[in-house]
Amino acid sequence: MAKIELQNIAHSYNPQSAEQIYALNPFNMTWEDGGRYAILGPSGCGKTTMLNIMSGIVQPSEGNLLFDGVDVTKLSTSERNIAQVFQFPVIYGTMSVEQNLAFPLVCRNYEKPAIDAKVNEVAEALGLQELLTKSASRLTADQKQLISLGRGLVRDDVAAVLMDEPLTVIDPDLKFRLRRQLKEINQKYRSTLIYVTHDQNEAMTFAENVIVMDAGRIVQVGTPKELFERPKTTFVGYFIGAPAMNFFRCERDGDYSLRFGGNTITTQTRLTELSASQLKLGIRSEYIKIVDTIGQNTIPARVKRVEDLGNHKLVSAVSNDLDIKVKVHRDTAIPAEQVHLDLPAENCCVYADEILVQN
Amino acid sequence: MRVLYTSLKYLAVVLWSTFVIAPFLWAVSTSFKDFQSVTNGATYIPWVDFEPNLEGWRALWKSPAQGGVDIVEPFFNSVFVTASGSLISIVLGTLAAYALSRFTFKAGFIRNGDITFFFISQRIMPPVVLAIPFFIMLGKFSLLDTLAGLIIVYIVLLMPIAVWIMVDFFNKVPVEIDETALIDGCNPLQAFYKVVLPNSIPGIIVAGMFCMIFGWTDFFFSFILTFTEVQLLPVAIVALNSSITPWWSLSAAALVSVAPLVLVAFIVERYLSKGNLSGALK
Repeated sequence: MAKIELQNIAHSYNPQSAEQIYALNPFNMTWEDGGRYAILGPSGCGKTTMLNIMSGIVQPSEGNLLFDGVDVTKLSTSERNIAQVFQFPVIYGTMSVEQNLAFPLVCRNYEKPAIDAKVNEVAEALGLQELLTKSASRLTADQKQLISLGRGLVRDDVAAVLMDEPLTVIDPDLKFRLRRQLKEINQKYRSTLIYVTHDQNEAMTFAENVIVMDAGRIVQVGTPKELFERPKTTFVGYFIGAPAMNFFRCERDGDYSLRFGGNTITTQTRLTELSASQLKLGIRSEYIKIVDTIGQNTIPARVKRVEDLGNHKLVSAVSNDLDIKVKVHRDTAIPAEQVHLDLPAENCCVYADEILVQN
Repeated sequence: MRVLYTSLKYLAVVLWSTFVIAPFLWAVSTSFKDFQSVTNGATYIPWVDFEPNLEGWRALWKSPAQGGVDIVEPFFNSVFVTASGSLISIVLGTLAAYALSRFTFKAGFIRNGDITFFFISQRIMPPVVLAIPFFIMLGKFSLLDTLAGLIIVYIVLLMPIAVWIMVDFFNKVPVEIDETALIDGCNPLQAFYKVVLPNSIPGIIVAGMFCMIFGWTDFFFSFILTFTEVQLLPVAIVALNSSITPWWSLSAAALVSVAPLVLVAFIVERYLSKGNLSGALK
C-alpha cells in the first residue's frame, strides 16, 4: 500500500492550445495509505479520468503523480502495481475462475503455493470457492463482477484498489453485502480503496472520506457528515441528500440575519463584511421542524402535499411562493393547512455566490 | 395456412438443396464412368445405366506418360501456397488489425479508418488491374513461376480480408480487457497474446477460413504467374480440358479440389456463428 499524491494534476483534451479544454481541471489531492475513499459526482464530471490517471491508463497532460513520494507519472500501468475494477465485469473468458483470480499473481511471477493460498483466501471471502474450476465465461454477470473484484484484491502489495462503479451490475442484496465485505477487507489489510460512484448512498455508506466532483473540478472533500451538514457549495447541497437541500435567495438583514420571502431568519454566520452579488440560505429538510408556536426562527407556511417514504414523511410546503421540503418522522402529526416551520440557526448555511460562508 | 407455409418452406429448401447438390452428384457419377458411359447419352444410375469403374480416380496420381493426369503435385503446391499465404496473412493481418483497433494513427489527413480502407481497397480493384504490376515485379525479382512468388502475391490478396475481418472483431472486444491485463501486470504485447488473442480465436478462424477459400479457389493469378515449373490445382484441372477431355478424371479432380474446403467448412462451422457473436463479451 502507498500514500498517493496528485500534484497539480490536470487532463486537457487540447494540451497544445492556448485555451485548453479540461476534462479534469488542475488540482492537488492526497490519498492516505489505507484510507477508504469515494469519488462522487454526476456522469461526465471527470471521476473515471481521475481514476485512469492513477492507474496509468490515461497520461495526465499536466502535473505529477507520486506513490510514497516516488514520481510514477511516466511509469506504465503494469509498473505502478495498482488494481482496478471496472463498471462492467471484465473477465478472461478463455480461463477458469481460478486462473482468472491467479492471473495478476502469475503475471508477477509469484510462487505456485503463494498463488494457491491467496486465490483460495480471496475466493472464500467472495464466496467463489464452488466456482473455482468453472469456465469464467459461463457465469452470471454478478459472479463475473465478483471475479473482477477478486482479481483486484488478490495482490497484497498493490498501491491502491481503484473501483469504477463496480457494483452497478450486482443485485441490491449482494451489493449491500459486498460493500460491507470491502470495508472489512480495508480494515483487515489496510488496503487503500478508492471507489467511484454517482450513487450518494453508496459513497456515504462506504467511504471515510468522500470527494465530490462537478464539471472536472473537485468541489468538496470531507466526511459524509461534513458533506451532509456543511456543503461547501450549493451544488453539493443539491447533489448530496434526498431530497436536496432547501435553498432560498435572500438579502442581508443585520450582522447575523437574512431576509427572504418576507421572513427574517437568524443564523450563526457573521455576515457583516460580506460583499456578494447573490446570497442564498440553505437548510436540510431533515433539520426543519414543524412547530405549533411562533418563535424567533419560525416562518409561516402552507402544506401543499405529504408523501409517505416508509419510515419518514416528506412534506412539501409553500411560504410566500417559496417551496420548502420538510422531512419528518412518520409518526409526526401534520396540520391540514397552515403550519409554522422552525429553521434552527445552527443548521442554517449561508452561501455567497454559491459558496458557503464560513467564519 | 400454417401447413401451406411449412410446405412451401420445405419445398424451397428441397429446390435449393437440389440446386446445390446436383452438380456434385453429377461430378461424382461422372468420375466413376468410362469413355462409353460419358459419350453414349445421359446415364445416371450406377450398375443400372452404366458400369462404374475407378479409372478416373486412378488417373489422378498416374503420370501423363502412364496415361494419367497427375494432380498430386499441383494439389500439394496448392496446399502449400494457400496454407502459407493464409497463415502469414492471418499473423500480419491480426497484428495490423489490433493496432488499427487500439491505437490512433495520424499522418496528415490520414486516420485509422483511411488505413483500414486502404487495405480493403486492394480487394475492390479488379484482379486484372494487378496482374501486370505483379508480373513485372515478380519478374524483376526472378520470382515468376515459383511457389515463393505465388505466396507473396497471395499474402497481398489475402491480408486485406484478414485485416478487414479482424479490425471489426477487435472493435467489438471491449478495450477494458486490454486495460485490465495491463493493470494485472502484462506489458502491451503480453496483453495482446495472453488475453486478447485467446478471446479472438473465433474471429481468427473465420478470417482464416475466408483466406483459405479465396486462396484455394484462385485461378487467375496462379494461371498468369506460373508457366512450367509450378502448377497449382485450379490450373492443372483446367488444363485437362483439351480436345479429348477425360471427363471422368476431370470430375474426380474437381471433387478432390473441393474436398479440402468442405472439410474445413465442417470443422469450423461452429466457429462461424460464434465468430459473429463473440464481440458481446460484456
